[in-house]
Amino acid sequence: MKNSERSSETYLITRWQQFCAGDKSAFGELTELNYAALYHYGTRFTPDRDLIKDCLQDLFLEIWEKRETLSYIAAIKPYLFQSLRNNLIRRIRRQSVFSDIRDDDVEDDISPESDWIIQETDQLTSHRLKQAIDALPKRQKEALYLKYYENLSYEEIATVMGLQRQAVANYLQYGIQKLREYWQHAAIFMVLCSEIAWY
Amino acid sequence: MNNYSHFQVKDWLDDLAFQRWVYHGEQDGFWKEFVRNNPGQLANIEQAREILLAVRGELDALPEPEVKLRVSEILNAIPDDKLRALPWWRSNWLKMAAMLLLALGIVTALFREKESLQNLQTFVAGLRDGDKPDELEVYNETHAIQLVNLPDGSSVILKKHARISYPAAFLADRREVTLRGEAFFEVVKNPEQPFFVYAGSMVTKVKGTSFSIKANDDDEDVELVVKTGVVEVSALENEGKSKSGAGKKLILKPNEQVTFNRKSLNMIAKTVQKPVLLNLPAESQNFEFRRTPLAEVFAALEQTYGIDIQFDAKTIAYCTLTAKLGDEPVYEKLDLICAVVNARYEMRVGPAAGDSAPGESAPGTVVAVTSEGCE
Repeated sequence: MKNSERSSETYLITRWQQFCAGDKSAFGELTELNYAALYHYGTRFTPDRDLIKDCLQDLFLEIWEKRETLSYIAAIKPYLFQSLRNNLIRRIRRQSVFSDIRDDDVEDDISPESDWIIQETDQLTSHRLKQAIDALPKRQKEALYLKYYENLSYEEIATVMGLQRQAVANYLQYGIQKLREYWQHAAIFMVLCSEIAWY
Repeated sequence: MNNYSHFQVKDWLDDLAFQRWVYHGEQDGFWKEFVRNNPGQLANIEQAREILLAVRGELDALPEPEVKLRVSEILNAIPDDKLRALPWWRSNWLKMAAMLLLALGIVTALFREKESLQNLQTFVAGLRDGDKPDELEVYNETHAIQLVNLPDGSSVILKKHARISYPAAFLADRREVTLRGEAFFEVVKNPEQPFFVYAGSMVTKVKGTSFSIKANDDDEDVELVVKTGVVEVSALENEGKSKSGAGKKLILKPNEQVTFNRKSLNMIAKTVQKPVLLNLPAESQNFEFRRTPLAEVFAALEQTYGIDIQFDAKTIAYCTLTAKLGDEPVYEKLDLICAVVNARYEMRVGPAAGDSAPGESAPGTVVAVTSEGCE
């Protein structure tokens, strides 16, 4: 796992350069490697899955068209995320004249691998945290997502979201603080519940 | 490697290995064991895990077949006249026939001038070269050592006037490189895809080790010494089959050195005190660090690999490293270090923008490290 990730860093850069020189198989591979992550990022903006897939197709065809001008790009992932974000937001704005955009109902999602920690109370905290994260301003949520789930640096997040680095740092700090506060409330609440149940 | 016992929730959130476990279930066994042995950290871990999962939100993963389908749709949408089906009278075989005729013409023309048979050979050789998938070559013209990162992440340290060629992407079942001159190898472990070095008429086969090769064109012998792992040495098959050395294989272990005669294909093995053949720091370096300031660690890496590591001395002033690094390629070393001190790096080839006179410095490898610092 570590291995593939590491070599992918250099490997991706090599492949990107090949793609810029017109290598279609490199292009196909880069598309395949990034598609799922970009799609998942897209679901943060709209529940309309088809719209995301449309945008992704447009995005990749567009970068194929201008491949010769893209060889300066070293940070491939942030570039793709930024492009998708811009495309999606543009499309959603255009669409939203007609339709209302709302987040999908969030379900519980505990990964099956980690069974050790699952207790009845977990459902409660998870649910509370969902509420907490839903209550965060959109941009804070997005910055947290890019930082932790996609592992981008502050600079890269700033590029993707079109913000100053300092703004990203602030968003992240407040976001984490809020989540931890909620978690603590939830924990206290749980303790109270168990106390009551005791009597 | 990390001192996990003092971790706070925030530390867990920022820990890459922990993130990978929460998100992708990596090293599940290790983490379950860790939780069992560190009940004091359970609350923190639980909280960090919940927060990470909440940050990710609903996992709406696309199944792999769908990704493949979408990608092929995209590829099909690319206008590509080469791949478009042509009517048979315009299809490729006619072009090929025309090319054959042309080639035949050239060959006859060359044959008429008898002395240009030599030209024909180079001409044909040139054609064959063109057929190969992109072959890259790095020649170290400088007097310093030069780091080459192969497509699989393996590191090669070239001494001056050494030359290595390798494909832009390795084949699925083997990794093949050709060396002339002196170099030290750190090969990424991958038993499925053995790594071959062709040097003179000597073939070296490894699965993931570190070793040095000395193969100078003017020397009669090719020499190899193993630092770690196991190395298999043999003579190139198609040369001198009748000769006595052909077909023989030699398995070498750490601190074993082989001298391979280019002409007779004889191999002589011996055990050495230290696996030093080229006097490179990498050959004798043991990266053992104990509360070593990060700046010193970087200095050691710079010296070993002949790379330039750029970092902000102020932010990492309080970062130290306690770790034992072995024969990993430079990427693995940097990954490990960065994971421990919560830093990131980017690597590129070429002199840093604007800090050296144009045309003066050779294309070196520059690693830019960004860190949020350590308390």
